[in-house]
Amino acid sequence: MEKLTKVSFSNLDKILFPKLQVTKAQFIEYYIKMAPRMLPFLKDRPLVLTRYPEGVAEKGFYAKNAPEGMPSWVRTVRLYSHSAKRNVNYIICNDLDTLIWLANLAAVEIHMPLSRVPDREKPDFAFFDVDPEPPCTFSDATEVALLVKEKLDKLGLTGYVKTSGKKGLHVLVPVVPEYTFAETRNFVHAVGIQLMKESSVVVSEFKDTKKPGKVFVDYTQNSHGRTMACPYSLRVSEEAPVSMPLDWADLKKSIKPSEFTIQSVPSTRKEPWKDIFGHRQKLEAKNLGKETAKNP
Amino acid sequence: MEKKPQKTRKEQVLEEKHPQKAEEAEKQKRAPSKRPMWSGSIAIGLINVPIKLYPIIYDRGVAFHFLHKPDNAPLQYQKVCTKDGKVVPWPEVVKGYEVTKNQYVIFGKEELDAVKPESDRRIRIDKFIDYLSVDPVYFYSSYALMPDKSGDAYGLLLQALEKMGKAGVGRITLRTKEYPALVHAYKGALVLTTMRYGYDVVDPSGFEELGELKAPKENELELALKIVNDLSGEFDISEYKDTYRAKVEDLIKKKLKGETITVEKPPKEEVKGLMAALQETLKQLEKK
Repeated sequence: MEKLTKVSFSNLDKILFPKLQVTKAQFIEYYIKMAPRMLPFLKDRPLVLTRYPEGVAEKGFYAKNAPEGMPSWVRTVRLYSHSAKRNVNYIICNDLDTLIWLANLAAVEIHMPLSRVPDREKPDFAFFDVDPEPPCTFSDATEVALLVKEKLDKLGLTGYVKTSGKKGLHVLVPVVPEYTFAETRNFVHAVGIQLMKESSVVVSEFKDTKKPGKVFVDYTQNSHGRTMACPYSLRVSEEAPVSMPLDWADLKKSIKPSEFTIQSVPSTRKEPWKDIFGHRQKLEAKNLGKETAKNP
Repeated sequence: MEKKPQKTRKEQVLEEKHPQKAEEAEKQKRAPSKRPMWSGSIAIGLINVPIKLYPIIYDRGVAFHFLHKPDNAPLQYQKVCTKDGKVVPWPEVVKGYEVTKNQYVIFGKEELDAVKPESDRRIRIDKFIDYLSVDPVYFYSSYALMPDKSGDAYGLLLQALEKMGKAGVGRITLRTKEYPALVHAYKGALVLTTMRYGYDVVDPSGFEELGELKAPKENELELALKIVNDLSGEFDISEYKDTYRAKVEDLIKKKLKGETITVEKPPKEEVKGLMAALQETLKQLEKK
């Protein structure tokens, strides 16, 4: 047979999602099918993975360092990790084969930083992590995400929304890679503070993160070394949910995050984020202001 | 010894069947048969529609013969008596129906022949029904019905069935077996489809597993409907191919040309699914 990939598959009949009886073969098939939509996001970003070789019902592990004995064609970049306090060989996934290889490693979640190599200090997204704290639910997060959109619209900025794949929502503003993380963080924080003043459900201070019945608009993710679930990445949960890019209009129609799974997503035709990289925006200087001095 | 020239003729046939233009050969194989199986009529009450019956279903697997490894001679089957181990000639064979273990009711050939239905070359239509109301679990095989002598009655029946989406249901005896049968319109022709008897098909609603099914939640059902909707398309039988047969035929072609064959471990079923997805993705990435 003609060789379509450099990857040699292993343990294809292993069940990775026991509740849905999804095998590793089906899991890899998901990432193969989603590759055309995912690769533009992954390009040149040092990745962080969560791997579940025994399936999501068993213990998995967090992986930054590329594994020993990996194929020579996998591209890595050696960078200093502040959290690990040492140099780490990060995997770069710029092609289909690498994505398939990651899937074969049972990398259920693929997390990406908000900046690319070599200019790691210049993010190309400003990131609002909208995270509801129980008893707040996804529908509260939806309301808050729509408030974020309203604010962005007023500032003349286009935001893009996706489910986190868990309880919350992610709103991203693609930006020209000219700003520092401190600047995008200040921008997101400033918007969060504004919303907090206008809505009783929003909190945007780090100390309030775990306040019950609130929705935290998290600005702290806009930092060097922090990562976000890649659009269309699966999340670790027995229902095999997907971090799903959405149309704002669809979000208003009371979407449930559980609709988007390994089983339903590959057949969706909509690509609401398709034009995102043609839409890198400038943030106005006044929005990067220093009024938000309280960093974590 | 006589078998030898026969074998080379088979080889020739195979070569003829597999020229470089494999597609053309495909088409040739599917060309309508020139010789009818029989001529008869469709009987609807007192009306007779003269027809000729042609085969249209060919279950084409790859046929292999068993040979004796040391000399490649074809093997022959023989009936051997389990008591004395001797080969039994045909005149000494009778049919036995096993009542209980090792207890038989014996029949001679004439006794069974006397009750066998005889084909009167007539398709008797009892009534007309909605064609789509017949579940395919009953379908057995299909034959083309072509007009014989005058085509007037044939044309009328065909048009009427096409217009109304109806099929005639009735009986036919083919060789010595009687079947329930449908006469329906398919691709501008009348087609006869023989069917199984109701008592030869198990009613699946009797399976215990169905009693254990939980009613799905409404949101789950919505999601299921959405998945089905997203994957909906037109039925196209040409999307399905017997890859095993194609591979074996390819190997036969190579063997005939004297090429050596390295046996590749066949990819597992799971890998096949992945390769199909890969091909699709590679196509999409190329477009970008």
